[in-house]
Amino acid sequence: MKVRIKVIALLLCIMLTGVCFIGCSPTGSTEVASQFPEKPITIICPYGAGGGTDAVGRAVADVAKDIFGQPVVVENKTGGVGVVGMTASMNAKPDGYTVGMVAVELVSLPKMGLAPDTFTYENYKPIALLNADPCAITVGIDAPWNTLQEFLEYAKEHPGKVTVGNAGSGSIWHLGAIGLEEAAGVEFKHIPYSGGANPVVVDLLGGHIDAVAVSPAEVGSHVEAGKLKILGIAAEERSEKFSDVPTYKEQGIDLVLGTWRGLAVPKDTPDEIVSILEEKFMEAANDPKFVEFLENAGLGHEVLNSEEFVAKMQKEDKLLDAICEKYLETTE
Amino acid sequence: MDNLLIGLANIMNLKYILLIMAGVAGGISIGSLPGLTATMGVALLLPVTFGMEATSGFLILIGIYVGAVYGGSVAAILVRTPGTPAAAATVFDGNEFAKRGEGGRAIGISTTSSAIGGIISALMLIFVSPYLANFALKFSSAEYFALAFFGLTIIASISAKSLVKGLAVGMVGLLISCIGLDPMTGYSRFTFGSYYLFSGFSLIPVMIGLFAMPQIYNSILEGVSEFHIKQHVTRVLPTKADMKLMLPTAIRSGFLGTFIGSIPGAGADIAAFTAYNEAKRWSKHPEKFGTGIVEGVAAPEAANNGVTGGALIPLLTLGVPGDAVAAILLGALTLQGLQPGPILFRDHIELVYTIFAGVLVANIFMFIMGILGIRLFTKVVSVPKYYLMPTIFILCVVGSYAINNSFFDVLVMMGFGIVGYFMQKVDMSASPIVLAMILGPMAEENLRKALVMSEGSASIFLTSPISLFFIVAAVGTVVWPMMKAMMNRNKEN
Repeated sequence: MKVRIKVIALLLCIMLTGVCFIGCSPTGSTEVASQFPEKPITIICPYGAGGGTDAVGRAVADVAKDIFGQPVVVENKTGGVGVVGMTASMNAKPDGYTVGMVAVELVSLPKMGLAPDTFTYENYKPIALLNADPCAITVGIDAPWNTLQEFLEYAKEHPGKVTVGNAGSGSIWHLGAIGLEEAAGVEFKHIPYSGGANPVVVDLLGGHIDAVAVSPAEVGSHVEAGKLKILGIAAEERSEKFSDVPTYKEQGIDLVLGTWRGLAVPKDTPDEIVSILEEKFMEAANDPKFVEFLENAGLGHEVLNSEEFVAKMQKEDKLLDAICEKYLETTE
Repeated sequence: MDNLLIGLANIMNLKYILLIMAGVAGGISIGSLPGLTATMGVALLLPVTFGMEATSGFLILIGIYVGAVYGGSVAAILVRTPGTPAAAATVFDGNEFAKRGEGGRAIGISTTSSAIGGIISALMLIFVSPYLANFALKFSSAEYFALAFFGLTIIASISAKSLVKGLAVGMVGLLISCIGLDPMTGYSRFTFGSYYLFSGFSLIPVMIGLFAMPQIYNSILEGVSEFHIKQHVTRVLPTKADMKLMLPTAIRSGFLGTFIGSIPGAGADIAAFTAYNEAKRWSKHPEKFGTGIVEGVAAPEAANNGVTGGALIPLLTLGVPGDAVAAILLGALTLQGLQPGPILFRDHIELVYTIFAGVLVANIFMFIMGILGIRLFTKVVSVPKYYLMPTIFILCVVGSYAINNSFFDVLVMMGFGIVGYFMQKVDMSASPIVLAMILGPMAEENLRKALVMSEGSASIFLTSPISLFFIVAAVGTVVWPMMKAMMNRNKEN
């Protein structure tokens, strides 16, 4: 046991030393952009290890470390459904060494009263979008509906009767289902399941609910196994993997919505550093190793540069205004 | 059967054996450190397995899972601090052994019953998984609520001396579990505007605070002596007499654990508490539970390791994870380009059976390492208290911080430590809070979801046979002892 205590003591010493280093950020901001980065870059992930956001962050960090020639470390800072971690990266020292993982919740949470007013995408300078997954409507293989229209027609005839499960109250999948309701003029019975997409998909498999509103990737294995079918996907274009499933738009529903994950730095970060980060992280995001990882993990590969990323967030900001208002109405 | 032999032949490969061994050893260390759980261990090692081929990567994760679920009991027995929530039920009797200087005996019992539970679950996984798998899909909101409702009656059997105190503590636990965002409407409850409270108090800092910190505050306030209870380790394997006491309980609990593990959404912590409760209920001497008896250690330990194989049943057959660790294992498989479910059985049957064999082998290694480690583990309590207490304190701080990388959780841990200290002073057991925090959110969310689905009609809980069974069992648990007491009184008159 003594040996074990020694090992533990040693580990603690190493950890404490590490903590000291974090404290010792260079005095004076005389860094020259051309030398950036001179030390490890930390990516703050606002969600826990093992989740989708964490997976994207770790995968991009793995590729980026070779591109930067410096270690890229992912630190999970969870809590407040993402508010804690994103607030931390938003208020980090604007020197480019702390990069935040941002997700669609950055835009949606303040609209639902779940984040302070200072919590806004405008406090960030985006670097790159790394991944996006659209909302979709999935039903059991034996369900009587084969297209989104049939499903919506049924919902119209039976207002408030069709049970649509989502992955948590106020989650993007819940908002996606509300968006569909709004666009199609129907009324669902929303059932929020906490703990990610798994529990809700299991309940659909067991036939306890009529449909789920999660991403195609989260139902993918069951679709391939012939147990579930996707009726429509809320994306601009059809997905490669499920190319026979039409988009919402093709089926007359004008809605493009989904989750996304990207990188951003505090808004006061010098532009030269932002452009270096953008260039290198874009390279990492298009690296075949990263693309392959996303593909295997069932995550959508969608890359946007800083400018396009800002435009996307602005667009979603408007779109989610109406949907979040409806959300607040229905849950009150 | 042929497939199983192929699986076993595959596993008898030095590389795989070493990987499983490393996984189990790492898992035991992770599990025995308070704050580091099986879920975290597997999640942290997941990225390492990306570069490995599928079988190697998966086997090392299985090793960690099996090791960590077992490892939690070591700390629970020796320092009265469950290493993982799954070991919270092991504290009751396990720590009493250590107080008598029989910590080694308790670890022997926990190791053996963990192995029995694990091997039962591995065999169930191999031979009956297709049948159990579809059962998992029968569970929906009504059934989960009924299961949690039944689980809450366990408070009665873990209340130590006073039922009233136990119920009071349990209610406080339920109230604590209401903190955070409302699961149905997203409304923030009792958060006082703090974003740190949005997801409520995390279970692990609360648990560490309640169990470990009172000892530390005690030693600060009352001083530490060099005195410690000498742990006598005369033998490492349980005696014949212990085995005889242990076997029936361990086997029953192993099956129970496998069953609970196979239900998505109920994991090792719930299984351990339920098994403890059932062992006490069917025992000829229920009053002895909590005083350090063999069955009291065997039941939760066999059950929590029973969960390991159980959780893999729906994962491999349906692609539906049976608990939080299995959810990460699902990620591990999909990242390798493998889709768990019927397709995996069709296209990669050899891998499936290699995994089955791996679960079996991991449990055997866990047994060997646990037994060999007893002499080493028990030395931890021979360390003078003025070294031991600060070390435990540091581990508690690091463990609470590590959950979310949040200092807030350290404060939560210290705060609940003070609560735990006073609870100990007035002889209140802390376990009902932990149980209520595990089951409270499950009961609440599922009650409300079920009522939304049934449009407000409570009959949904009685029309589903599974739900009806648990509700009847719960009511029976509460009413039956009272009726028995009344009948006895009538007889006496």
